[in-house]
Amino acid sequence: MNLFFDLFVGGVSIGACYALVALSMVIIYKTSEVPNFAQGEMAMISTFIAFTIMDGYGAGFWVAAALTLVFAFLLGLVLEISFLRPADNPGILGSIVITLGAEMILYGLAGWKWGANQNPFPIPFSEYSGFTFGAIRITEVNLWTIVASLAITLMLFAFFRFTKMGTAMKAVQQNPFAAKAMGIPTRRIMTFTWGLSSSTGAGAGMLIAPIATLDPNMMLDPMLKGFAGAVLGGMTSLPGAAIGAYILGLIENFFGGYVSLEFKSVVAFAVIVMILCVRPSGLFVRHYEKKV
Amino acid sequence: MRRLSSVFYLALLACLVTVCPATVLGADPVRGVTDTEILIGQWGPQTGPAALWGAVARGTGVYFDLVNEEGGIHGRKIKYFLRDDGYQPAKTKAIAKEFVESIGVFGVASGVGTSTGMAARDYLMENKVPWVGPSTGSKHWTQPLQKYLFAVYPRYSNEAFLLTQYTVEKLDKKKIAIFYQNDDYGKEGMEGVKEYVDKAGMKLVAEIPVEVTDSDLKSHALKLKESGADAVILWILPKHAAMILGQAKAIGYEPQWVASSTLSDAPLMFKLTKGLWNGVVYANFLSTESPLAKKYMEAQKKFAPSEQYTGIFFLAGFVFVEPMVEGLKRAGRDLNPETFVKAMETIRNWNDWLGHDCTFTPEDRQGMKSVYLAKCGPDGNAVKISDWLTYKGK
Repeated sequence: MNLFFDLFVGGVSIGACYALVALSMVIIYKTSEVPNFAQGEMAMISTFIAFTIMDGYGAGFWVAAALTLVFAFLLGLVLEISFLRPADNPGILGSIVITLGAEMILYGLAGWKWGANQNPFPIPFSEYSGFTFGAIRITEVNLWTIVASLAITLMLFAFFRFTKMGTAMKAVQQNPFAAKAMGIPTRRIMTFTWGLSSSTGAGAGMLIAPIATLDPNMMLDPMLKGFAGAVLGGMTSLPGAAIGAYILGLIENFFGGYVSLEFKSVVAFAVIVMILCVRPSGLFVRHYEKKV
Repeated sequence: MRRLSSVFYLALLACLVTVCPATVLGADPVRGVTDTEILIGQWGPQTGPAALWGAVARGTGVYFDLVNEEGGIHGRKIKYFLRDDGYQPAKTKAIAKEFVESIGVFGVASGVGTSTGMAARDYLMENKVPWVGPSTGSKHWTQPLQKYLFAVYPRYSNEAFLLTQYTVEKLDKKKIAIFYQNDDYGKEGMEGVKEYVDKAGMKLVAEIPVEVTDSDLKSHALKLKESGADAVILWILPKHAAMILGQAKAIGYEPQWVASSTLSDAPLMFKLTKGLWNGVVYANFLSTESPLAKKYMEAQKKFAPSEQYTGIFFLAGFVFVEPMVEGLKRAGRDLNPETFVKAMETIRNWNDWLGHDCTFTPEDRQGMKSVYLAKCGPDGNAVKISDWLTYKGK
């Protein structure tokens, strides 16, 4: 039974990381219908910034984390302004290609600036000791990963639900023209979306780096898994995407623990294909609608 | 008269047939060899997922600079071409073509990667390009035997055999598990582990694979713990090594970790694992204590002062290519692929380098078969714990 609980904790804590990646993708997708493939590298660059602030300037973790979230926000703004905005009506496919281009530039930049070495990412929580609740053992870092991820998720949820800005973002997603006619600055909203998404991704990066070590390739796998989790839960629903990501983390861990480690990475995608056959818009989206 | 002239023509023809090819050949330049230069190429990932190992190719560059500074080889300087393949076999193949067809190199030095090297191997061999010291321990370099290909890196399977032997016989561990990368690299390591285990009449308690892209090793750690192994042999990436040690400790599992030579950069691993690497036993095949190593690192300060990474992989760029330079020296001034191969085959039990007992014969192109074992100390320092161990099988 211990194995079951250990796998459960493992699944939830990696799911928490995937969930943040999923959320950061969904934030942009909701407003522009563009899956942003630069998301992973944006998070990776931000995490490197956190590392540099701590390692190079000797700052504490919390200072570095706060500065990094600000940096990530600015990075998102800059990318949107310099890459997407100049494109003249690129369409969805065009926008995807633009994000892929941005991804490659950021990846190359990180390799050039920080090299390909793996770096240990320091955190103020113990990675080895933790708490025991009955049969459930959880390390400090796992616990805080879950807590941080849930907190960010709730904050995002509240932001979209209760703030003017959040409502404006939803309006832009549902009908950009009408939103503009109502006096919503759609362009600025788009830019802000990128900033918000980038900060969320940076949160994910800083939670993943301690367990996966920090290098320019760090986000390749989590980014795919986060995207997959979002597709599983529904690309247009914030809570759906987050729950999808948790489910994915759990499926992976249980499959790896009880069936086969060899196919652990693949099974997640197999499940998604099956779900998409049955519910194309994702598990937690009420109905499929295509805007014309 | 008529007959005489026909005899004359016949004689002339005979002369042409016998003499001319020789003279033409003599005048024909050997690809990549001029009066003053020998052209040598190497590919290595300077970008992409394996870029850390790209240091090998930069190390070789410094080595050639040093050789040139010391007067070159028989009046010729080495001209070195380093190309970035990003660890992508398709690019490696294109680079091999560039080396042969547009640059015209004499030979290829080292080169990181098994699949990348395999993409270029047959092409290089067809074009008779001498290739020395691919920087992986794959069996594909020597099986089947290739006339112009000389392997230096001890074979992974031999290394794994020696490591397992040490773990069982000297460290007295009886429950052995292997944690391997699910590809040729990891599987060749597993071959060697199994070879020893079978021979000793034992059984592996677990064989746990990891995919290159995996970034969550919790379930792997749990499976290892469940197996109850008291020693785990690692044939994986540095990143995965760091992750599995961390995850294992988090679930209270601390076996004796035993690592392959690809994880032999103890200071780096120590830093990366935040100290967990302390006590890990691993294989190595270049003696960092040799005075040559000191000399090479001084050359680095002189020729590549801005080099960011100067660990074991950088030095590996020297050790893989030292036999090549020795071969070039032995081949003499009359250098072509044939004289080079002959000269390489005279290298027997050669020890004037960072490695151990380099031997090439016409039947065996595996230059080095020895490793020594070391243990990571409490400050991330390397502590040598064995002499050179040589694989005695075939």
